[in-house]
Formats: sequence, C-alpha cells, structure tokens
Amino acid sequence: MQLTTQLTSLPREARDTLFLLGVIALIVLPQIGNLPFWCTSLVAVVLLWRGTLAVQARPLPNRWWRGALLLVALVGTYVTHRTLLGRDAGVTLVVVLLALKTLELRARRDAFVIFFLGFFAMLTNFFYSQSLPTAFAMLLALLGLLTALVNAHMPVGRPPLVQAARTAGGMALLGAPIMVLLFVLFPRMAPLWGTPNDAMTGRSGLSATMRVGAIAQLALDDGIAARVKFDDDVVPDRQVLYFRGPVLSQFDGREWTAPPPFSRASAFTPANLRVSGTPVRYAVTLEPSNRPWLLTLDAAPVKPDLPGYELFGTPELQWLASRPIGDLVRYRAESYTQYQSGPLRRTGAVQLNLDLPRGSNPRTVALAAQLRSDPANATTPALVQAVLQRLRTGGYTYTLDPGVYGDDTADVFWFERKEGFCEHIASAFVVLMRAAGVPARIVTGYQGGERNDVDGYWTLRNSDAHAWAEVWQEGVGWVRVDPTGSVAPGRVGTFNRLAPTPGVFAGAFGAMSPTLVQNMRAAWEALNNGWNQWVLNYTQSKQLDLLKNLGFDSPSLADLGLVLLWLLVATSLAGAAWTLWERSRTDPWLRLLAQARKRLQKAGIALPPTAPPRQMAEQVRARFGDAGKPLQDWLLQLEAQRYARESAASAKGLASLRSAMRRIPWPQG
Amino acid sequence: MNPAAAVRARIDGWFLSRRAPSDQLELTQRNVYIVPTRAGWALGLTLAVLLVASINYQLNLGYLLTFLLAGCVAVGMHVCHGTLRGLALNLVSPGAHFAGAAAVFRVVLHNGRGSVRYGIGLAVRGSGQWSWSDVPAGGTATVEVAFKPPQRGLHAVPPLTAETRFPLGTFRVWCVWRPAAKMLVYPAPEQHPPPLPPGEPRGGAAAQASSAQSAGEYDGVRPYRRGDAMKLVVWKKAARAQAAGSDDLVSRDAAQAQRHELWLDDRSTGLADVEARLSRLCAWVLMADRLALDYGLRVGTRFLAPSQGEAHKRACLEALALC
Repeated sequence: MQLTTQLTSLPREARDTLFLLGVIALIVLPQIGNLPFWCTSLVAVVLLWRGTLAVQARPLPNRWWRGALLLVALVGTYVTHRTLLGRDAGVTLVVVLLALKTLELRARRDAFVIFFLGFFAMLTNFFYSQSLPTAFAMLLALLGLLTALVNAHMPVGRPPLVQAARTAGGMALLGAPIMVLLFVLFPRMAPLWGTPNDAMTGRSGLSATMRVGAIAQLALDDGIAARVKFDDDVVPDRQVLYFRGPVLSQFDGREWTAPPPFSRASAFTPANLRVSGTPVRYAVTLEPSNRPWLLTLDAAPVKPDLPGYELFGTPELQWLASRPIGDLVRYRAESYTQYQSGPLRRTGAVQLNLDLPRGSNPRTVALAAQLRSDPANATTPALVQAVLQRLRTGGYTYTLDPGVYGDDTADVFWFERKEGFCEHIASAFVVLMRAAGVPARIVTGYQGGERNDVDGYWTLRNSDAHAWAEVWQEGVGWVRVDPTGSVAPGRVGTFNRLAPTPGVFAGAFGAMSPTLVQNMRAAWEALNNGWNQWVLNYTQSKQLDLLKNLGFDSPSLADLGLVLLWLLVATSLAGAAWTLWERSRTDPWLRLLAQARKRLQKAGIALPPTAPPRQMAEQVRARFGDAGKPLQDWLLQLEAQRYARESAASAKGLASLRSAMRRIPWPQG
Repeated sequence: MNPAAAVRARIDGWFLSRRAPSDQLELTQRNVYIVPTRAGWALGLTLAVLLVASINYQLNLGYLLTFLLAGCVAVGMHVCHGTLRGLALNLVSPGAHFAGAAAVFRVVLHNGRGSVRYGIGLAVRGSGQWSWSDVPAGGTATVEVAFKPPQRGLHAVPPLTAETRFPLGTFRVWCVWRPAAKMLVYPAPEQHPPPLPPGEPRGGAAAQASSAQSAGEYDGVRPYRRGDAMKLVVWKKAARAQAAGSDDLVSRDAAQAQRHELWLDDRSTGLADVEARLSRLCAWVLMADRLALDYGLRVGTRFLAPSQGEAHKRACLEALALC
C-alpha cells in the first residue's frame, strides 16, 4: 500500500523512467538463458542503478562511467564469443547497449535510440524461441514500448500512464489488420544472403554424427521434433513407425559418421527400393533443425512435396534438402512400410559397410569369430538371431545412465558394463556384425511417438530419437534390425517410455492426477501446434495456395505484390470516400450559405465568413439594386429557413432552396 | 543571403501569400501538412532492418513483429494528423506591446470532437518557442504564444504555426496560420533616460518675457508641495487649518508656475537618431505618467495637447509608434 502511494507520488520523469526500465527488463527476461551470465548481471545492475537514480532524482553518471561500461561490454562480448559480429555476439551487444543507453536519457534522440534498440532486442528473442509464450511476452513488451513512446509525446502535465497505454493499445488494435494483411501477402523469400551458420546452434535434434559412450547421462528432451498428420488418422503399427534420419556407416572407433552425400562417386548406387502393400500418406510438420534432412517414415519412394526446397533422395533412403531447413516446414509424403532396398549382390558400396578401425574392439572381433565358427550361424539371419538372443539373455540392460565409456566401446558394452541406451546397443551390434563379415550400418531417426488426442497429430519428440541397425543380406538387401528391442522390449513399440524421474513440480501434479497432467499437456501442445501450423508455418507455398483460392491460376510472387498493391489502392480510395463523407457531415445550411458566399465573391461582393444572409442581402441590394431582387429574396428565405419562429421550415425547405439557388439569376460583377 | 536561401524565402513568401489572413482558422485536410520526422526516418530504417533480419533468419514471428510495428506507425500517422485536423484556432486580438519586450499572444483552441487532443504546440513561425497544451474533449484551451515584437509600428500579427508529434513522434503535423489582426508596437522605452525636460512657459516663446516680469504675483493658492519656499506658504490659512485639526498646508500659487507646462519634444531630446529620440520620448511619457504630471507631446508634425491619464498616455504612445 505504501509502495503504491510512493509510486503514484513520484514525479513524472521518475515514473516514466521506471516504466521504461520495467519494459526493458521484460524484453531481456526471456533471453536470460541464452545470454552470457556477465551480460545478464550487467544489465540487471545497470537497470537497478538507473532506477535508483531516477527515484532519488540524482544526476546520471558522467560519460567516463558510460565509456568504461561500454568497454566492459565490448571486451566481455569479444571474450565470450571471440567476435563482435555474428548472431550471438550481436544479441549480447544489443541487449547490453539497450541497458547502457538508459544511463544517457537526456535528449529526445536518446529516448528514440532506446526504443529502436528495444525493437531489435525483441526480435533477437525470436532467434531462440518462437513459441506462444515468447510471442505473448513480446506483444506485452511491444505495447509497453509503444506506451512509453506515446507518453513521451504528451508534453503537458503528468498524464496517467493508462491514458498512454490506451492510445498505444488502440493503435496496436487498429494496426493489427495491417499486420495480418502484410503477414499474409508479403512475399516470403529465401534469405537475401547466405543463412548465417549459427542460426540454429543450441537446438537439439538428430545429428550427422554419433559419438558412442561420450554421454554419461542422456537427458530426455521432451521438445517436439516433428508432428505428423496421417491421412484419415490411420496410424501404422507402432512396430513399423521408424522415421529415418541420417544413416551412419563410417566408424573410427569412437564416432559414427554419415558419409557426405554423393562424395564418393564410386560408391553411388541407386537405392533400389522395392515397395509393396498400400502406401501410408501423411503430412509432416518439421521443427527447424538447420539440417538438410527430412524425416520420412520408412520407406518413402516418392519425393516429398516441399515447395521452396530442392529435394533429392540418397541411396540410404533418406530425403535431403538442398539447403539446411532453418524454419518450420510442412511437407506431404507417402511411405510403404513393406519394402526392400539396397543391392541384391555384394557390391563395392556394400563392402564399405564392413570397415572397422584396425585393432579396435579385439574381444568383440573374437566373439564374432566364435559366433561365425558355429555352423548354426552360417546364414546371416541365423547370426543376427544368435546375437539378439545373446542380448536378450546375456544380462544386458537398457539404461539412460550408462556412464562414460572408454575406448573399444563395443568391448566395454559386450563384456564389461553390459548396459547402455540405443546408441551403445546399436553401435556394439553393428561392430559385432561387421567383425563377423556381415555388412551393417547404423540408422538414426525417430521411433514411435504418441498421438495428441486434442488435435489428432502424431507427435515425435526429441526423446523419441533412436538408433537402430541395418544388416545386408545376400539376395534381400538391407534389413532393419533393432537390437535395442531385444534388450528393452519396452523401448520399441509400446507406450511405456523410459522416463527420467520427474521434477518436483511435475511430480506433485502427476501424483494428484496423471491424466490431468496428460490432458493439460495435450491441450497445450495442440494450441502450440495450431500456432505452428497457422503462424510459424506460414510459408511461400501457403501464400500461393491462398492466391489459388482467390482465383489465380498459376500464382507467382509478383501476383502477391499485385494483390497487395490493389489492397493499398482500395484502402486509399476508401479513405478518400470517408473524408468526403465526413465533409458532408457539416451543417447543410452552412454549406449552402458558404456556396452563396462564394458566388457573391465571384460577383464582386467580398464578405467575411461570419456574414449572415440578411447582411448579404443588404450588400446585394446596395450593389445591384432591383437586379438582385430574386437573390435578395432567396437570401431572406434562407434566413427564415433557419431562424423563422414557426417550425414550418424543414429539410424539404432546404432542398427547395438549394434548387432555387440554381434557378435564380445571379448578378455578374 | 545565398541564392538557395533567397529562393527558399521567395517560396515561403509565395506559400504564405496564398493563405487568406483570418483571425480564426479551422484545420482541415487542406491546411494541415504532414511529413516524417528524423526519428520517423530512423524508425523506418529500423523496420527495414527488422524485415531483413526476419527474411534472413526466416522468422515468421519476426515478420509479425515488424508488420505490427509498421501497422502501428501507419495508424500513428493517421492519429497524428487527426490531432490537428478538426481543431479550430481563434486569436484573441492582441494588445499593444513595447518593441523588444517579451509579450504573448493568446490563442484559444476549440476541440469539437469527443476525445482529448494531446501535445499541440503553438509558436510564432520560425521562433522555435513552443508552448504546449492539451485540448480537452469538446472543450477549449487557451495558449499563450511567446513572441518578441519587432520594431515599432502597426504590424500584422506574425504568422503562427501549430504543430504536433503525438503519438509516436514519427511524424510532424503542422499548419501555418496568418492571422488578420494588426498589432500596435510602441517604441522600446530608453533604459536609463535623462530627467524630464524643464517646463516651457505657456503660450510659447512670446510669453517668455512677460512671465519674467510678472514674477512674484500670486494668483491663488494650491496644496503645499515639497520644496515650496517657506515664504510661499500661506501661514494664516495654515493656522486656521490647524485649528480645524488638519495638517494641510497651502502654498501661494505663482502665475509663473501655472504658465509653465511640460512639453515632451523630440527636439529637446538632444539626439540625432530618430528611433533613439522616440525611445527617449517613450521613456519620458511613461515617466511623466508615473509622476501624474500634465504633459504634451510634440513629435515631428504631431502635437498632443498637455493632459494626463491612461487615454492620453496611450494616445501619446500610439503617436510615437506610428510617426
């Protein structure tokens, strides 16, 4: 209570400054996780300092202080990012400059610089998150900045901030249609110059490499990787829900890597995909990954439909885009869950999948030789079955917390730790297979997923990321083997995901009502998905679709511009019409009088705008005598129409006066 | 004056001459102008950079932010124009002022619409001395516009201008107003004028000789003034007055004193420059008025018979202003 009275009794300048500082804090707040620690602390200290100075009405620090702080910021940015350019360094600098600029609020120009930096800082939020909460926070911040800006242009007295907020809100509300129009019709284009490399750093997802045993504990990231809408809501059996990502076939003992696409011309072989059965048709909304690959359900023989990107298929059945996918994309695809692929005979390309680093994993190699020597394992399927049997019965367990593995990861898995997650298991399996002379490779991607009951979208999370194996079989081609399924049958094909212990908050909710949590989450994610589909995924193709619906046969970006131009012209015409209408709202009697005055002026009788009809009539009589008699009468009638006592004068009278005006002979000057 | 400034002044003069002078001005679409301010251009640049960033990083939310901001600026332009459009300005006819002294015009702003108009500044065109005000919904506000009158004379009120940058400061909306009223500017009174000139005998130089002879003849009495000689006091009357309980003294009034009158003459100023003379005369008029003396004014060919009072003072000052 005391605080509020203190706040309301602040002088205007202090109040305005505190408000602006609050808005700046709101802009910076969502970024805290992405900014270096020193930056956040510096911003907090500067904002608090400035607030204190404002409340105590003390002078601002001199320029030496500001210069020193600026130097600190520059050095800090350089030390943190090793550059002053680029996205992350730029974000840090913008935020620090925004805070430092508040120490220099003197001229009107300084205030404007703060506003402009504020708008930039708001945009930088979107580098890291374009989610609904971020959007909401930034909408608030924008309204706050506009309020401060409006308030700065109310120079008189101490107008309440609510007044400025109302004006700002009104402007935003009226500006919203313009925003929607521009958003819908502004042609979406490819980046004007090369997408900055750092555009996507810090986003999790699949990667082109897999370093086995490097991660002690796998944190399950519940972030969403993709959403799939199956046509007619027909979801294939979970056992075949393998979404293919990068295929890793090169192994250096620690790290699996995917061969760069088409780098080895000799190894290029057609995918030789043979499909059967009925296709599954679906649309995927892929979260931005800054990777070139698309997620498709195994196996998609036809190029997915993704406008704006050039797509090509790899021999590993992957679909790649011509450039990294930096924004949310949506594409249609169709897949056949029954398929065979790869060469039927041992070719050079297949043989490459036998490579192992020399001398690594000696015990696994020995195990392979031992398995191979068993006549029961003569065929590849039998060998695979034997290994899977070993995984099932050999005391191997699935864990998300395997600890760090040393070198010879396959040996460590098969003989020492005997535990791990899909990476360890798939890697150890493929090493064993290769040692036994069976071409094998690792496929990464997503397995399973779950249905969001609110909007019917099938959701793939980062925690659904999976690694499995493919072994090559003479006469058949590549065959999928998921060794993780043998260790932890629950990992593949059921709803029971191995979840980490929930945090305190989620735990409490979960204990109360697990379904409530699930429902709330489903509703929230559906809302988010709507946001994604309608806002974040509004792309060039959707724009062109819109034009098609508007009746353009083969719409192009130029047509978008045309529509925008037409709307502009239409709006301008509407504005002009409105102005005319507004003018017509002036008193018709006064308008008639003004017309009469204008004609008298032409006739040589200059009269002030305040002259009443009677005075005009007298002037006419003085100037023209009897020649002006009809005009005099008309003017007196005009007077009577307005001022006569009896209310016989009506709008009809005015109309007749108007027509009479055209008939009477106007004297010429 | 360089050629560019000359051309600009010509254009400015032409622009002003197109406006019919009037003491009231209704602001409409036709006489309210709008241009972006420097801050407006800077905001435009900001919008462009935001747009490029949105394109390059393919941020749909960035597009939304950019376009919402652009929408707000577009609406702000309309609001800014609307702040002046529909406003009616009325000049309260200005009084007379002394040249060079700070003075004000009063302008009454009428707001006919149902919402407040914020941040309207008024100034003499080109003076840069803005007085800001808000005009309440459906009400009026009186603004005092500071100005410094130029040289003496009867002048047209200088062109005024009203301006606003509300709400975003991105646009400057203004109008130019040529009021029809004239204002009278008196000469600037001299800062430290010499004392008033001595009185002149009534009737001019011809009476001078006789006045010397008639010294010592008393024509009547008048109330005592400080500095009257002791022998001029009518002691008989003083005794009578004191008996009646009054301290009033009465002096004999010499015909000589009555026949002298104060003439403020531009020739008696002893100055060569006309304006300096007028300044001194102006200061003398004010001084004589303050002393409640009868004074007459003789400037150039104009004569104002000795008298006193506010009307006389004004008449004198007006004569000084217009001669």
